[in-house]
Amino acid sequence: MIKTGIFILTFLGCTLCQAQNDSIGNISDFKYNLKLAYLSTLIYPGASIGIEFPLQKLNSGMGEIHKKNRSIYKSRLISGNLNWYHHPDFHDNLYVTAEWVMRRTNSNGFISEFSVGPGFSRTFLGGTTYRINESGDVSIVSLAGYNYALLTIGYGLGIDFSVKKKMPYSAVAKMNLISMVPYNSIVYIRPVLEIGLRYSPWKCKTRSTNE
Amino acid sequence: MNKMQKILMLIMVLLFPGCQKEKITFSDNASEVFFVENAGAAMRVMVQGNTASKTFILIIHGGPGVGAYFYDTKYIRQNIGDKFALVYWDQRNAGASQGTNNGGNLHLDQMVEDLKKVIEVLKFRYGSDMSLFLMGHSFGGLIAADFVSRSDYQNMIQGLINVDGSHNYPLNDTLTREKMLSVGQYEVSQNRNIDKWQPIINYCLVHKGNFSFEESQQLETYSADAEDLMDSVIHVNYVKKVLEYAVTDKYPLSAMLSNLLYSEDSNFNKELAVTQFSSTLYKVKIPVLLLWGKYDFTCPSALGEDFYNRISSTDKKMVISPVSGHVMFLQDKEFFCKQIDAFVEAHR
Repeated sequence: MIKTGIFILTFLGCTLCQAQNDSIGNISDFKYNLKLAYLSTLIYPGASIGIEFPLQKLNSGMGEIHKKNRSIYKSRLISGNLNWYHHPDFHDNLYVTAEWVMRRTNSNGFISEFSVGPGFSRTFLGGTTYRINESGDVSIVSLAGYNYALLTIGYGLGIDFSVKKKMPYSAVAKMNLISMVPYNSIVYIRPVLEIGLRYSPWKCKTRSTNE
Repeated sequence: MNKMQKILMLIMVLLFPGCQKEKITFSDNASEVFFVENAGAAMRVMVQGNTASKTFILIIHGGPGVGAYFYDTKYIRQNIGDKFALVYWDQRNAGASQGTNNGGNLHLDQMVEDLKKVIEVLKFRYGSDMSLFLMGHSFGGLIAADFVSRSDYQNMIQGLINVDGSHNYPLNDTLTREKMLSVGQYEVSQNRNIDKWQPIINYCLVHKGNFSFEESQQLETYSADAEDLMDSVIHVNYVKKVLEYAVTDKYPLSAMLSNLLYSEDSNFNKELAVTQFSSTLYKVKIPVLLLWGKYDFTCPSALGEDFYNRISSTDKKMVISPVSGHVMFLQDKEFFCKQIDAFVEAHR
């Protein structure tokens, strides 16, 4: 089942990539990063795919700070993510998030970022779910689970390989805390570690154009 | 249906029913989890052990809000689960039970109805010819007492095991105070832990009865402290227990904590503080085994004696562990398993 989940998320990621093909005719006008990440909550597996758009032009020199001869590039992005984790005998959680990202990249390509944003969660219970009516008849509930409003907040560290190695990738490890409400009339908080790659196709195009 | 809806449907159909497929095993080493949905809560039920025996022991955990995970230990699996099946039910707002805005349904009547539905699902899955025993611990003893006080409900089970359970909260408070006072004064006279006993004794001397909710909670807190002060009792390292089982048993730790905090702080506890079933226990006619810890200050053994004296069962037995406090299944596990094994074997 985990393999099926990874396959579907990868498939969705590819679909998303292809969906963008027609719209990036002029890459300098439409910049985005694609994300594919392994999602882990302690020992439980999951996956995350996403797309992020800078709200301000990264190549405009915006936010550049010169401090001790080191440049720090600040960027503000908005990202959309589809996430899933599998906690056996508890639940599978499929959730989408829209996040506001504040990212700093230094001259060595070191990334630190903070993100926050709302989301929506649909859980699927980790076992057959039964319901009994007033006359005592037992039935099985299909796709049993619950809908929750979700808030995610996260902090990540990583490396942007485009800075030094001219590769359009960055690797980021990010710890997120997701909060789901109303979970049994209270909030359910879960730490989620995300380790993944971000692909910035526009960086290749821009670079090759410049060259 | 647009493209996005089709994709979402595809995900749901392919991905998630995989973990929701009905799995019913009859073997000497079964392990399966299912959920019972009722009144806004999906309650986790884990069945482990010898389901082929067709004899099931349903554990009603304490709390409220503690969850059934802590009752599932390697020793119990090897010494009860080898012969019978153990059923770990997470009550609503406890353990791995899930739901949305369901706090309004957190009350005793609803929990007794939940228990009835869990039993009905067990019989649906494993056959109505099964032998079923209830084992209530601490607060679980209150749910069990309510359940077996209903004539039509007690007929669903073969017997009841009451382990340090409370069937009468006001009486419980009175007995806790009396025990802490008498044992505390004796310990002080023996020059043992004087500085730690004195605040407990002082509190008991000042608060003599008709306890408010806050007083009741303070007595409960002191009862745990009092047990810790006894050298003769086997002490349990709960953090070590959690670390030992959290990964292998797939604890949803943050959900367990959320549920515990909500249940502990719920107004539901005020309702419990005045709840008693002493007056209806005469209706109980099924076989009953009472297991108590000698050093249980939280639910003193005199509470078990009240239960024993009030039920109409002709087949009843009360035994006391000389080294146990409030959690006999961890403190005197060998005694606990032997007693349960003998009782269930005799009445299955």
